[in-house]
Amino acid sequence: MIHIDNLVKRYGTLVALDHLSLDIKEGEIFGLLGPNGSGKTTAINCLLSLLKYDKGTITIFGKEMHPDSYDIKQNIGVVMQNVAVFEQMSVWENIDYFCGLYIKDKEKRRELVEEAIRFTGLQDFKKMRPKKLSGGLLRRLNIACGIVHKPKLIIMDEPTVAVDPQSRNRILEGILELNRQGSTIIYTSHYMEEVEQICSRIAIIDHGQVLSIGTTEELKSMIKTGETITIEAVALSEDKLAQIRRLPHVFDISYEEQILKIRLSSAKHNLVRILNYMQEHDIAFGRVFSELPTLNDVFLEITGKELRD
Amino acid sequence: MTVFKGFLTITKRNLRMVFLYIIIFLAISLLTQKMLGTQGAVSFKQERLNIAVLDRDGGRLAEGLTEYLSVYHNIKDIPDDESILQDRLFYREIYYIVTIPEDFENKVLHGAQTLPVTKVPGSTSGFYVDQQINTFINSVRVMTDGGFSLTDAVEKVKEYSQETPDVTMIDKNGHGGVMPGHAFMYQYMPYIIISILCYTLGYIMIEFNKPDVRKRMRCSAVSDRTLNTQLFLGYTVVGFAVWCICTIMPVFVYGRQFLTDANLPFYLMNSFVLTIVSLTLAFFSGSLLKSEELISAVVNVLSLGMSFLCGVFVSMEILGKGVLTVAHFLPVYWYEVSNNLLAGNKSLSPAQMTEFFTGLGIQLLFAAALFGAALVFRKNRAQTEG
Repeated sequence: MIHIDNLVKRYGTLVALDHLSLDIKEGEIFGLLGPNGSGKTTAINCLLSLLKYDKGTITIFGKEMHPDSYDIKQNIGVVMQNVAVFEQMSVWENIDYFCGLYIKDKEKRRELVEEAIRFTGLQDFKKMRPKKLSGGLLRRLNIACGIVHKPKLIIMDEPTVAVDPQSRNRILEGILELNRQGSTIIYTSHYMEEVEQICSRIAIIDHGQVLSIGTTEELKSMIKTGETITIEAVALSEDKLAQIRRLPHVFDISYEEQILKIRLSSAKHNLVRILNYMQEHDIAFGRVFSELPTLNDVFLEITGKELRD
Repeated sequence: MTVFKGFLTITKRNLRMVFLYIIIFLAISLLTQKMLGTQGAVSFKQERLNIAVLDRDGGRLAEGLTEYLSVYHNIKDIPDDESILQDRLFYREIYYIVTIPEDFENKVLHGAQTLPVTKVPGSTSGFYVDQQINTFINSVRVMTDGGFSLTDAVEKVKEYSQETPDVTMIDKNGHGGVMPGHAFMYQYMPYIIISILCYTLGYIMIEFNKPDVRKRMRCSAVSDRTLNTQLFLGYTVVGFAVWCICTIMPVFVYGRQFLTDANLPFYLMNSFVLTIVSLTLAFFSGSLLKSEELISAVVNVLSLGMSFLCGVFVSMEILGKGVLTVAHFLPVYWYEVSNNLLAGNKSLSPAQMTEFFTGLGIQLLFAAALFGAALVFRKNRAQTEG
């Protein structure tokens, strides 16, 4: 459905997109995950022809994308990072206005606007002006304006920034519902939990390059970490730490402020083996946690830095 | 027509502000032009100044000059003491001191020497008395050269100075030669129209200039050309409404005098073209400016600046050559040139008609240039903003 090939975008000497290539299939929720400044928004702006790029090609629905490709744009919906609505129009007027940029038929537009209002749960706020809405409601209005014309492709650029958890869940559920209704979604975020929760495939990007791409499971399986075990342990000697490091499947340990963190490769009974060792060597320990790898671990292992750096 | 309808929706929300501006600017201009309009017709009054004449000659010519000046001014008897005279001049008890030297006739009338005078430097009163002294001496010189005796010449000049000429204004414009009230109103119209349109449309455009809103519209299936056309159509509707209000105002204020003016269609044409220029100016500034404070500052500079430079507040005849040269590069100047033609003539001759339509043409060229500049700016901004 979308084919991005060798995209290069420079701002002076800064290379924002460095030969970025992506293929997005129809019906996917495709996540673009990366820290702030990694090139996610630049990639989206190039995709929408809002920015001129220096090299590469972008094909959407089988046609090359240009600023005047209005037939392609007709089937794209955009939800911006910032709320992009008119302060002096009501909720209904705003949604109707942005719907009118795609749909000319008045009756059809009215139905679509009502549907978008129902979908985003804004029925009680139709006549209100945006400045009277809470942050979460504003975000929902922003989404309603982007999806009202029922586009085949929806691009969402960090739509949950500065949103309370309740509204965030509602928005994420809405995105899944849109996908069920047949829309392909490109979702950018630096919140790995969100991406992990809703995206069918994810591309991790940094410095304008795709570092890794695949489903959540595929990405996690690419890395060495299979499990991270955290144990509260008192006064561990260097000798004991060296012995733990030599245990099967352990490849990295750290011990700070009486918290022992052990990284292990994927294997059965890792936790049992570690706890047995602790008991056999009379090591006093308190709480124990076992975590499967997250996308942050993937990012950490690929780039050597935390996703939210 | 979504963008156009959206523009009108936002305009509707701002109607109170639009009417407020219309009322404020119309009230200011009505008051100002009422005041200046009345002054223009009856304000001339001959002033009598307190002056001193130090006659060190005592001859017939000197006496004649003193008597001649006494027709126009109050001659004060002040001792011939330099410090006293300077004190009186400093405290404006007298405005002018004429010192008639000995052998006045040979030195000044037949010689090259000028009459020593003391006056407030650069003052209009000084210039006024200078002119009267020159008139007296030149008249006496012409008459004596023509064969009159000095005494007869002085008497004749004095006699003529007593006469009051009857001045009848040629009724070139059908209003007794006096500028009609509605012409004053049209003289002020650039200030009203530019201010109202640039302020109100600028405020409305703040909504459309928000980067994220603009971005969302550029992502849509509506082309930049359609977007700009619909926005300008919205501008045109507002502009036409403001022009109608400004056209109805003189009907209320001046009634028949305005409606029976033979130049009425030309007044309407000129102000309509000015409205087009103002709309393009508002479109340009509205595309450029993003905050209310900026709009307020820039619109003030634009409307007041052009009004002062192009003869809106001050008649063009009074403006300096340099100012008028600069004004040629501003559209309001050409509006005022056309308006002056209409105010000063009952009907336009073919040559004046050409001049009038040239003025309209130049205004339209300014409008086209401003509109083009606004489109180029909007396109460049879209390409650089992303």
